Amino acid sequence: MKYRITHTTLYHYSQSVGLCQNEAKLQPRNFWRQHCHSNHFDIKPTPMDLRERVDFFGNRVVYFSTQQPHTQLIVTAISEVTIFPKQNNLDLFNQMTWEQVRNLLQGTPLQGQSQSQQIQTQLQNQDNNLEILDARQYILDSPMITITPELSEYAESSFQPNQALVEVVHNLMGRIYKDFTYDPTFTTIATPLSEVLSFRRGVCQDFAHLAIGCLRAYGIAARYISGYVETLPEPGKPRLVGADASHAWFSVYIPGMGWLDFDPTNNTVPLDQHITLAWGRDYADVTPLKGIAFGGGQHTLSVSVDVLRME
Amino acid sequence: MRNNKSPANDIGTQYYATQLGIYDEMYATENKALPYWERFMAALASMGSEKLELRRREAQRLLRENGVTYNVYGDSESLTRPWRLDPVPLLISSEEWIVIEAGLKQRAELLDLILKDIYGKQTLLKKGLLPAELIFGHEGFLHPCVGALQNQPRHLTIYSANLARGPSGRMWVLDDRTQAPSGSGYALENRTVMTRVLPDIFRETQVHRLSGFFKALHKGLVDIAPHNKEDPRIVILTPGPLNETYFEHAYLAAYLGYTLVQGGDLTVRDGRVWLKSLAGLQPVDVILRRVDDSFCDPLEMRSESKLGVAGLLEAVRRGNVAIANPLGSSVLENPGLLAFLPRLSRYFLNQELKLPSVATWWCGQRRERDFVLQNLERLVIKPINRTSVNHAVFGGELSSKEKDLLRCQILAKPHLFIGQEQVSFSTLPAFIDHQIEPRNAVLRNFVVASGDDYMVMPGGLTRVARQKDNFIVSNQAGGISKDTWVLASEPDKPVSIWTQPKRNQHIDAVTEPLTSRAADNLFWVGRHLERIEAATRLLRTILLKLRETLEFKDPIDDECLKVLLRTLTQVTGTYPGFVKGDTQLLKTPEAELLSLAKEGHRKGSLTANIQALIQAAFNIRDLWSQDTWRSVDNIQRRWQQRVVNNEITVEQLQDHLDDLITGIVAFTGLTNESMTREAAWLMLDSGRRLERALSLIALLRSTLALRHEDTLQNQVLEAVLVSTDSLTIYQRRYRSFIQLPMVLELLLLDETHPRSVAYQLHQLSVHVAALPKVKSKSRLSEEERLILKTYTDLRLCNMSELTLADENEGIYTDLESLLSNTTDLLWRFAEVIAEAYFSHSQTSQLLMPNSAEDEL
Repeated sequence: MKYRITHTTLYHYSQSVGLCQNEAKLQPRNFWRQHCHSNHFDIKPTPMDLRERVDFFGNRVVYFSTQQPHTQLIVTAISEVTIFPKQNNLDLFNQMTWEQVRNLLQGTPLQGQSQSQQIQTQLQNQDNNLEILDARQYILDSPMITITPELSEYAESSFQPNQALVEVVHNLMGRIYKDFTYDPTFTTIATPLSEVLSFRRGVCQDFAHLAIGCLRAYGIAARYISGYVETLPEPGKPRLVGADASHAWFSVYIPGMGWLDFDPTNNTVPLDQHITLAWGRDYADVTPLKGIAFGGGQHTLSVSVDVLRME
Repeated sequence: MRNNKSPANDIGTQYYATQLGIYDEMYATENKALPYWERFMAALASMGSEKLELRRREAQRLLRENGVTYNVYGDSESLTRPWRLDPVPLLISSEEWIVIEAGLKQRAELLDLILKDIYGKQTLLKKGLLPAELIFGHEGFLHPCVGALQNQPRHLTIYSANLARGPSGRMWVLDDRTQAPSGSGYALENRTVMTRVLPDIFRETQVHRLSGFFKALHKGLVDIAPHNKEDPRIVILTPGPLNETYFEHAYLAAYLGYTLVQGGDLTVRDGRVWLKSLAGLQPVDVILRRVDDSFCDPLEMRSESKLGVAGLLEAVRRGNVAIANPLGSSVLENPGLLAFLPRLSRYFLNQELKLPSVATWWCGQRRERDFVLQNLERLVIKPINRTSVNHAVFGGELSSKEKDLLRCQILAKPHLFIGQEQVSFSTLPAFIDHQIEPRNAVLRNFVVASGDDYMVMPGGLTRVARQKDNFIVSNQAGGISKDTWVLASEPDKPVSIWTQPKRNQHIDAVTEPLTSRAADNLFWVGRHLERIEAATRLLRTILLKLRETLEFKDPIDDECLKVLLRTLTQVTGTYPGFVKGDTQLLKTPEAELLSLAKEGHRKGSLTANIQALIQAAFNIRDLWSQDTWRSVDNIQRRWQQRVVNNEITVEQLQDHLDDLITGIVAFTGLTNESMTREAAWLMLDSGRRLERALSLIALLRSTLALRHEDTLQNQVLEAVLVSTDSLTIYQRRYRSFIQLPMVLELLLLDETHPRSVAYQLHQLSVHVAALPKVKSKSRLSEEERLILKTYTDLRLCNMSELTLADENEGIYTDLESLLSNTTDLLWRFAEVIAEAYFSHSQTSQLLMPNSAEDEL
């Protein structure tokens, strides 16, 4: 499946901005499920300085600074991406229990402390060890997700003893989908997880954070994915440009298999309609576009995303 | 208990009681004082308790005058705590120093290698030599900094450690300071003061000098400058005057000759860091950082930070600026790391640690966690992340309920906690309440990278607890500091921090750029100074008049007093005051006059203006000479002690006002005599001239622009001349005729009279022309045009027309309109100056979607 994504952000200022420093994570990653053919930025006014790098989590980042006075900044990122819908069936039927996964993650790589020697021997190679080492950072608290007793309590019923981790996550995702109301008016970027949990409302970002928090509370590695999802038009109606927007979901680490994505907002396992931009511990690591502007007075912001299926 | 039988000993060394099981610095483990301590104590004893106490107070006075303990707000609830210095230093023998020095060097090397690995290849994590949770769970690990270290022989440029001696006499490291170690400036200041209060003893004892360390620091900072720049621009980045160690930032900036900057003074353009100076953007090569690393770049790290520079990390990544210590180095302050250092020392250096750390168990490992949980009451429990709510607790002091709670916290997130052995610190003689007594001590040492090697400051900052048998030694807990004397086997020659040029080498003078923030503060120092002076002089005139009214009971005096009182309200802007027309207030003005002098919370009062002056001056502490700062200190301290903190009457106020004038004159005299006529002085004096013109016009508008009948007019004219210190000059010029046109001539138009409006405007136009400019030289700048217009308008006025008045009008209309026109132009001038030169005031804002974008 091939898509063209056009993501436009417009800042409008009441007064002139003399200098604006920005960081954009708007370029889709390449990994086994996805290939990004092309990506380019159209920024007005043209930045005097623009540099690309790869961040700690392997995401592509563009730094740019607008150094001439301006009252409007438009950042458009256009990408073409192919998604390979090769969801490994084995992944979804993986029988490793959540306790085994937790113990395995706890056990390595400090020698001699593993509880599950059997699995350990299966995975005795450098790559797996590095993969597990990498996964372990996604168990800890992160800037926007702090594990609390309330989170463990909510998650508890999904973590039945000796249950396969894949089942646990499916169950948890289903419960979040059922228990929580999608409500864009309720939360902002700054709404803490505790409020989402107590009012049972939020948006995709909150649901992803919530699921991640629940999994981490039980020693499972989970990370945050920012990206887009294609919205299919209703039959007979034209597809609305700009109807789509940024999306977010989460991914869980299953030793030996790798990372498996889940979308709690839609209660689905992403297959060929989810385009991944970046991943990290939570939203703070993958904010699509942020900047610091000097001057400017009041600013307004509008965003439009267009996900166009090409073939 | 041991006896010291030296004669005439009244400092109490004979009662010096060491404790069982605690090592004492003077006695070591022997029954007799160590020889070098004995010599030192004999010298102190021969001085006697009284004299020593005088020296201690002298030290305290010097520290205060130098601004080491500066109380900005002049009240007891101030942020800064007094810096106390004990006259008895810690003496360290040269043999022992060799051991400490080698241990610190080794530790600095080791920490440097760990830092390089964590932000580089992460081999330690991959090999399992450091657990991932210990590093990734620590807030000092900054993800954006991975891969950002530049090619330097050493990354950890400055390192500091707190040391204490255990019961066996062995030195232990309590903790490591790696991100922005503070204290070296205090150590230097302590030394400076000690050499003044105990000059004889210092001279007789061979003590290592400290200046070599600062020379090495300078060299270390020059070495890390990008592109091997020979004479790099180095700045000290401070969080600002509210920071508790701000004194030190200003002190080091002045001592090392670096520009002191705040985040707003710097900007990133084209991937480079620039200093916003009056003369435009100046490139910055090296930043000595005193801002915590996560606050340094709001773009990539804490976005709410107002202390940093957006884009700084990007400039670092491109190798265009070097920061000491590098961003991310606070990861080494993780106390959990202490448990892994012996292993890492063997791994990296193939050596055992020469200076052991306090025994530490990191709870992220099962065995260690169980040990900590079982031994809670014997250990100190610390979170690996230091925050205001998380702090170290002594397990033994917890109730069983608190212990259960702590156990739960540890079990929930074990990797965030450590257990540490409770250590006893050695005792050391301290002069407390006229007596020498033992106190527990901690020594802070400083290390700086010089090339591939490390250099240790031969000395340091010793701190002792105030109370006996107390192991909490910190400034927060009211600790006392001490100088640290490392004894030399042979006399140590003082090292100048100046580089010796080769013979006949020509050296270009560099004018340090003035930051726009510093310019802003200088301008306001000048303005506040004049506000104080104008109000003080007017207040004095009023007090004289008040006395006359009581003495002679002349109704004309009463009328004149009323005019002056209303003027005071107008000049100080303290409405409604006397302007409202409250007859009672005008009849008994004493309370309001005292309030205008004393009340700090009242805008426009003398105290409020003095506080604002001090605040502005303190913000640029690094720019003042020692003497100048002392004069600033005097103004505030004397006013505070004699007026604000005292019950005084209006009659007593007169003397204090005279004293205040003397203080102001001392300050202006010093600045006139010792500041080079560069941007800084131009800004200071422009502020003064502008405010003097404004105050004088305000005075004239509410006195001379009003029409009075002749006898009253004469009185008012005289009062105005007195209040502007112009009576003598007037009398000499015009003898006994006191007339409005002549007074106006003198106070408005006489360019040779330093208290006239014309003089101020002339000076302003000269200053403005001399200020650094980026724009073209052929065209006048906006501020030049404005001041030219103001001055020309004034000069073109016709004096005889100004004082012609319509019989029916209460004011001289033309005079009033000239004065108000001049005021308006001067206000506009002040705005233009601020726009042109104080660009740091432009605020930044975060651009981020504030609601989550989403789509089902």
